[in-house]
Amino acid sequence: MSALEVLAASKIFNQGTTKQVDALVDVSLTVQPGEFVSLIGPSGCGKSTLLRLIANLLEPTTGSVSVNKKTAAQARLDRDYGMAFQQAGLFDWRTVSKNIELPLELKGWEKSRRETRAKEMLELVKLPEFADLYPWQLSGGMQQRIAIARALASHPPLLLMDEPFGALDEMTREYMQGELLRICGETSTTVVFVTHSIPEAVYLSNRVVVMSPRPGRITKVIEVGLGATRNEDTRAAEGFFKGITAVREALRGTHAEHAAANAVRGVEDR
Amino acid sequence: MSDKTGTLAIARIVGRVRQAGPALVFGFLFLALWESAVRGFDLKPYFLAAPSKIFEQFVKNASRIWEASAVSGGNALIGLLVGTVLGVAMSFVLSRYKFLGELITPLAIALNAIPIFVLVAVLNNMYSITSEIPRRVMVTLVVYFIVLVNVAKGLTQVRSTHVELMKSYAASDFQILRKVRVPNAVPFLFTALKIAAPASVITAFVSEYFGGLQNGLGSRITSNIANAKNAAAWAYVLGACLLGLAFYIVSIILESVTRRGEAK
Repeated sequence: MSALEVLAASKIFNQGTTKQVDALVDVSLTVQPGEFVSLIGPSGCGKSTLLRLIANLLEPTTGSVSVNKKTAAQARLDRDYGMAFQQAGLFDWRTVSKNIELPLELKGWEKSRRETRAKEMLELVKLPEFADLYPWQLSGGMQQRIAIARALASHPPLLLMDEPFGALDEMTREYMQGELLRICGETSTTVVFVTHSIPEAVYLSNRVVVMSPRPGRITKVIEVGLGATRNEDTRAAEGFFKGITAVREALRGTHAEHAAANAVRGVEDR
Repeated sequence: MSDKTGTLAIARIVGRVRQAGPALVFGFLFLALWESAVRGFDLKPYFLAAPSKIFEQFVKNASRIWEASAVSGGNALIGLLVGTVLGVAMSFVLSRYKFLGELITPLAIALNAIPIFVLVAVLNNMYSITSEIPRRVMVTLVVYFIVLVNVAKGLTQVRSTHVELMKSYAASDFQILRKVRVPNAVPFLFTALKIAAPASVITAFVSEYFGGLQNGLGSRITSNIANAKNAAAWAYVLGACLLGLAFYIVSIILESVTRRGEAK
C-alpha cells in the first residue's frame, strides 16, 4: 500500500485569463510508507505547489491526489499529515510546550494527555528543558526543531516539509538533517521534502524528484543508493557524490533544455 | 535577603535613577529658566505666570482642580471604555465580512475628517445644556476609530504560515479566529489604547470649550483666563497634564501586565 499517490495532477492558476500560470502539468508520483522523497528544482518549478496539493491546501485543476488511500481532503480532515515550513511559524504568544500542543488541542485532546505528548516530543527533538520558554528566546535551529516536534505531535504517518532548513546556517543545517533522519527513523514517518539544496536532497532521500519550470513538471526521479543508515561519514561517501552528480546533471538538463527553448523563442535567459 | 540580592536591588535602583536623572535635571533647569525669565524680564502675570505662582495656585485650588479633573476624567474614561468596546466589536464584524469594510471605511474616514468642535456643537444642540452626554459621545467617537483601525489590522494581518498551518490542521474559521487572529490582535489593541487614552482626555477638554456644563478642566481654564487669573488657568493646565499622564501610564501598565511573556 502506498503512503501517497499523485495521479496525472495539474494545477493551473488564473485559468483562462491573461495571467494564466501552468504551475504543474500532468504530475504523477507514488511514495511508499517510510520513504523519504525530496522535490528539487529551480524557482517556479511547482515543487511547493505539488506539496500543497498533497496537503490539500490547494485543489488540483485536473488529476487526483490520495493520501493513505483516502482523498487528500479527507486525509487533511483526519489530520493524517504534519507540516513544516521555511519559517518555523511558532506562535509568539504560546510557550514552546503550548506550541507543540496546538494540533492536539484542535484534535480535542485532554490537557494532561497533551502535556505528556508535548514532553515526549521535546525529548525526541532533544530540547526537554525549553518547554516553558517562548519561541523568541530560542535560536533559529531550535525553533525549527520545535516546529518539527509540533508537526509530528499527533504521530501522523506523513510529514510534509517546505524548505524547512532554508533559513538556517550551513552548520545548523547539517545537524538538523541528521536529526530529521533520526526522528523520522524512530517514528517511521514518510516524508516529502521540498528543497533548493542538492546535497541536502541527496543526503536525506531515498529518491530525489527533479522538477523543471514553465510548465512545472517532473523531469527525472533519481534513486539514491546510500542505504538506510546515514551519518556524518555519508557526506564523504562515494555514493553521496554520485548522487549529487546525478541530481546536478538532471537539473542542468532541465536548465539547458529550458535555455534552448527560450533561445528558440528569442527570449533571453537569466 | 542575601547580600548578593541586596546589592542587586541597590544596583537596580541606581540604574533607574541614572536613567531618569538627565530628564529630571532637564525639567528642573527648564522650570528655573522659566522662573528667572519671568522675574528677570519682569513679565506681567497676564502674559506669562511664574512656575512658583502656578504651583501656589495649584496647591490653593487643589480640591477644585481635583473635582474638575474628576468630571473631565470621568467623561474621558466613559468615552474610552464605550469607544473601545464598540471599536473591538466592529473590528470583528469588519474582519469577518470584508465587503462591509469596503462600505464603511469611506464613511469612517469622512467622519474622522470632521473637526471635533463641529460635532460637539451639533451634539450640544441635540441634548440639554446640563448634559455630559455630548462630550462622552465625542470621546467615544474618537476612541472608536483609533481602536477599530488598529484591531482590525491585528485581526487581518496574520502571518500566512500561521493560516496555512491551521488549515493543515483542518481548523475551522472560528478556531483560526480564536487561536491565531485574536492573540495576534492583542498587541494592536494596546497600541490603540496607548494612542486613545491621551486622546480621550484631550477630546474631553476640548469638548468643554463649546458650551454646556462649566464643571470640567477645559471650561475652568477658559473661565480663569476670561477673569484674567492667568496663574490659576495654568494651575488647571497642570491638572490637565497630570490627568492625561495618568491615563497614559495606566494604559502602559495594562499593556505590560497582559503581555509579560512576549517579545518586545
